[in-house]
Amino acid sequence: MNKGRRFLSYAKPYSGWLALAFSLIMFTTLSINFLPVLLQRITDDVLRNDASPLDERLDQLLHLGLIYISIAAVGYVVRYLQTLLTAWIGQKIIYDLRLAVFRKVLRLHQGYFDKTAIGTLMSRVTSDIERLQHFVTEGVVGSIADLFMIIGIMGYMVWFSPRLSISIFATLPFLFVLMYFVNVKLRNANRDIRDRQSNLNALIQEDLTGMTTIQLFNRETSAIEDFEGRNKHLRSAYYDEVKWFSLYFPTMESGQIVAQLITLAIGGTLIMAHSDLLTLGTLIAFLAYLKGFFQPLGSLSDKVGSFQVAMASIERVFDLLDTKEEINDRDDVATPEGIAGTIAFNDVSFAYIEDNWVIKNLSFEVEPGQVLAVVGATGAGKSTIINLIGRFYDVQQGSVTIDGTDIKNFAKHDLRTRLGYVFQDPFIFTGSVAENISLSTPGVERADIIRAAHTVNAHTFIEAMPDGYDTVMNERGAGLSLGQKQLLVMARALAQDPELLFVLDEATASVDTATEILIQDALAKLMSNRTSIVIAHRLSTIRNADRILVMRHGELVDQGTHDELMANDGYYRQLYELLLHSPS
Amino acid sequence: MVERSSLIEKQSARLSQYFRPYRKDLFGTILCGLITVGCNLTLPVFTRWMIDGLEAGTLTNQLLIRYLVYFVAVGAVSVFFSRYLRKLPMKLSHKVEYTLRNDVFRHLTRMDQAFFRSERTGDLMTRLSSDINIIRDSIGQGCLQGSRTILVIIMASFVMVLADVQLALIVIGLFTPMVLIFFLILRIMRRYQQELQEHVSEVSNYSQETFSGIRCIKGFALEKRRNEAFEGLNTDLIGKNMRVAATRHFLFSFMSFGFGLGTILIMVVGGRKVIAGELTLGTLTQFSAYLLYMQWPLLAISWVLSMLQRGKVSWLRIKEILDREPKIQENSELPMSGNRPEASIHFQGLELEIGGRTFLRNINLDVPAGQTLGITGPTGSGKTLLTSLVARLADPTAGSIEIGGTDIQDLPLTQLRGMIGYAAQEPILFSRTLEHNIGFGLDDIDGSVISWAADIAHLHHDVETFPEKYETMLGERGVTLSGGQRQRTSISRAIARKPDILILDDVLSAVDTQTEAAIMSKLQPVMKNRTTLFVSHRISTLRYADTIIVIEDGQITQRGTHDELIKLPGYYSELNTLQQLEQKLEAE
Repeated sequence: MNKGRRFLSYAKPYSGWLALAFSLIMFTTLSINFLPVLLQRITDDVLRNDASPLDERLDQLLHLGLIYISIAAVGYVVRYLQTLLTAWIGQKIIYDLRLAVFRKVLRLHQGYFDKTAIGTLMSRVTSDIERLQHFVTEGVVGSIADLFMIIGIMGYMVWFSPRLSISIFATLPFLFVLMYFVNVKLRNANRDIRDRQSNLNALIQEDLTGMTTIQLFNRETSAIEDFEGRNKHLRSAYYDEVKWFSLYFPTMESGQIVAQLITLAIGGTLIMAHSDLLTLGTLIAFLAYLKGFFQPLGSLSDKVGSFQVAMASIERVFDLLDTKEEINDRDDVATPEGIAGTIAFNDVSFAYIEDNWVIKNLSFEVEPGQVLAVVGATGAGKSTIINLIGRFYDVQQGSVTIDGTDIKNFAKHDLRTRLGYVFQDPFIFTGSVAENISLSTPGVERADIIRAAHTVNAHTFIEAMPDGYDTVMNERGAGLSLGQKQLLVMARALAQDPELLFVLDEATASVDTATEILIQDALAKLMSNRTSIVIAHRLSTIRNADRILVMRHGELVDQGTHDELMANDGYYRQLYELLLHSPS
Repeated sequence: MVERSSLIEKQSARLSQYFRPYRKDLFGTILCGLITVGCNLTLPVFTRWMIDGLEAGTLTNQLLIRYLVYFVAVGAVSVFFSRYLRKLPMKLSHKVEYTLRNDVFRHLTRMDQAFFRSERTGDLMTRLSSDINIIRDSIGQGCLQGSRTILVIIMASFVMVLADVQLALIVIGLFTPMVLIFFLILRIMRRYQQELQEHVSEVSNYSQETFSGIRCIKGFALEKRRNEAFEGLNTDLIGKNMRVAATRHFLFSFMSFGFGLGTILIMVVGGRKVIAGELTLGTLTQFSAYLLYMQWPLLAISWVLSMLQRGKVSWLRIKEILDREPKIQENSELPMSGNRPEASIHFQGLELEIGGRTFLRNINLDVPAGQTLGITGPTGSGKTLLTSLVARLADPTAGSIEIGGTDIQDLPLTQLRGMIGYAAQEPILFSRTLEHNIGFGLDDIDGSVISWAADIAHLHHDVETFPEKYETMLGERGVTLSGGQRQRTSISRAIARKPDILILDDVLSAVDTQTEAAIMSKLQPVMKNRTTLFVSHRISTLRYADTIIVIEDGQITQRGTHDELIKLPGYYSELNTLQQLEQKLEAE
């Protein structure tokens, strides 16, 4: 229940508003439930009062009618305001929670994203939060309103006629237990349905992806049999739900009928005996109360159980919020004015998975303004170098320094604003071309954007797009070729004018020769006069680098300029020849 | 009742055909509705008798008991049938749901590869689950609420007119405009709701984009900007949510007030008549009771209408699939000939065009029975497509493929595919036991065949390490196989069928060179007496083939044996040099 209390703490900033909402609930309960009292007055004082003069009776009838209408109007207007207020409070609470979750996700370290499917994170910010929104506005406040309504009606009934109230006290406990029981059964059935549905969905998903395999092996018939089996299983869970659901309303109806029956029996007997304890008007008003009594009772018993479902969502959301953030800023972070650009790896070892070292005792240094190319076969640990400098992961042994300061002493945000990246898989955001280049960084003007695009040879194709730089691109830059996307992200990196630049220049198939030349030219311009580390696959980038690191199985095997390394006639020379022979 | 699990017909799909078997349930629903509504309208009559009796002082204990007995009896009947009024249509809706889902699935099993490539799995999933659920709900709720609402309106109006015309007119006069206003507001609300829905998906798209671009966001330190934009989106979300809430709550407060108004109007107008002696107090109470009784059914009209609307949209989406004919059709007049054709394959002038692009052209090739053909070439040159044409996963645009002299389009599909053992490039395995997966193509799973097949694919040793050996579940609830293990399982699956034609599409790409050599040597005897087509990028594998072809850009550019091709300038000899270099690098 700790999580429940923690959830309630999100309501704290709105406690004043909540108090107002509850007083409004109280007001509506009292006013709307006063209406049957007026019915009693009309019946007893006007309609049955044969003694008083006709004119007076008609006047009084109209008079009471107007009071009734006014109270009803005020009551429903206040109730409307109250529901609006409640909805607003619920929205605010959920807003806070959703932002908290979103912010949390953005603070989590890269390693978390390697392990967690995006779908899982998505369902936290969408379905779980939506369920909680429903829970707050309908569940919590709704059940309090229901409770008030039930208590209000009961209060009026007892005040009205304790004797007739026997009818509700006699039926209420039974009915509530019965309704609760039906609700539990219903929820169980619903859980079965959900389980079986997802079971069936898993089968559908697998069979749809594997349909060709099924057909190749002539397994259609058995696939259909399996499907029909699970479908039937699902149907039987639905039948179970129908069984209990079809009892829900009839149970409520029978409660209502029994209560009416008792009321009529007691009322009838008392009035027949000419007792002063009860008037006919009271009996009629009482019957009106009974009609309004059972609806909130049913919905309350329903909500009591739905708390369980919400608790599961609360649990999941808070688990996410409590996830440890592994890469944190220190308290005493350094904020250097500018970075000269000396990057050094000092005896660094790193493993993504424990003991599975990807980088072993790596030491090297990059001078300011130098272009360093890293080469090696796949899995040699090249791109890990970049991951470590950007603090996507923290090193386990040794240290990475910039200008002599351990990067763990920088604030992540400060560090990263000085770094620029060109990733191998260009990520395009929804938004205009200009926004994708500037990333809305303050100080990056349209002129800078265009200059950057010009430099990396992206200007021509951007101008050719329907709205030029204002062309809005949809998800993932659909409509652009891979080469164009790469040029675009280069323009992006350039526009940010980073002090250190990292380029993942993995071999990319399906870029035509013309674009390839543009990309090579752009890369060269991008890295000129800038401290850069490039994970190189293109011969041109390798040859143009000031220095080359040769990596193998996480270790540095050689370094030097292209000519020096070629002269060595070692591993590098073979790698180079392999690249020469590679297609494209 | 006879259960039917399928209703596929050749003509265009119609929803009504799914109802036909359940006409009895429909009649039953209406009958239950008539009885329940009738009983519910009768109960206030007993109350009226009692109240009138009390008012006039004519009620005796005997009469009271009699009325109460009536009350209980009619009430019990009402409750009893009220249950079936719900049970029948809901059960009916689940029966339709079941049959419909089976039919859609059955239909999908007949669809060709091109269909599954063009349709996203997620979209098909939606149709099989949520669309069918919406159809089911609109059937269930449509029958239940629809019949109930219509019955209540007709029967209550009738009873009210019988009791007092003037009061009945007041009720009708008040409710007609109220229901109309309700409709109007509901339409506005639906527009707001749609806008809200669009905004909600915008918010979720934004989250999705942020999460999938997390590296880029971290790399450029964009967290603050993303957070701010998300905040902005969520502030708008509050506004849009509130607009819907404001309309919806107004609707309910408005309707509640409307019913309050109705009650007091009847009280005042009816009260005047009571005072004038034209109406009894009991009749007045009876009217109030009807008013309350009509409340929910009236509100339900619009709900049911929108439900039916949604159901119709979903049905059209389902129908779209049911009406799609599979492109790969069996020539229906074909007799299932008992004798298997000889396993020689002849490609004649083969062309394949998909969406205006030519993928294969002018393929002429003979693979004699028992021979092995190696296929290689750059990525995307059409190698996989060529092999898939043999199993009729697609049909060629021009030209033909003959097996044992018979055009494969003249062979029954099951016979053709029964001859072939196919292992695909990216093998699809199922979340069942390993045994089930290897024996996937067998009618009766025989343990010795399974272990034989696993042994040849060099899988036997891996299996020994699995917790439950061949009974081990694959996938999420069991072991997750490595890429190489998946490929080897797929090979076992293909050879376990002991097929006449074996197709191996680059199945050893994720396997290291040593294992590859081991598998190839074990596969040798298996391939000896079968016709084998295998796609590979490795010279070490290709050299086993009797003939090798190189496909570049959809055309055969080189053909010959390993020894012949290696001497010719071209793709094959370049591949050879590259792989020798690689080997040298590895050996370092």
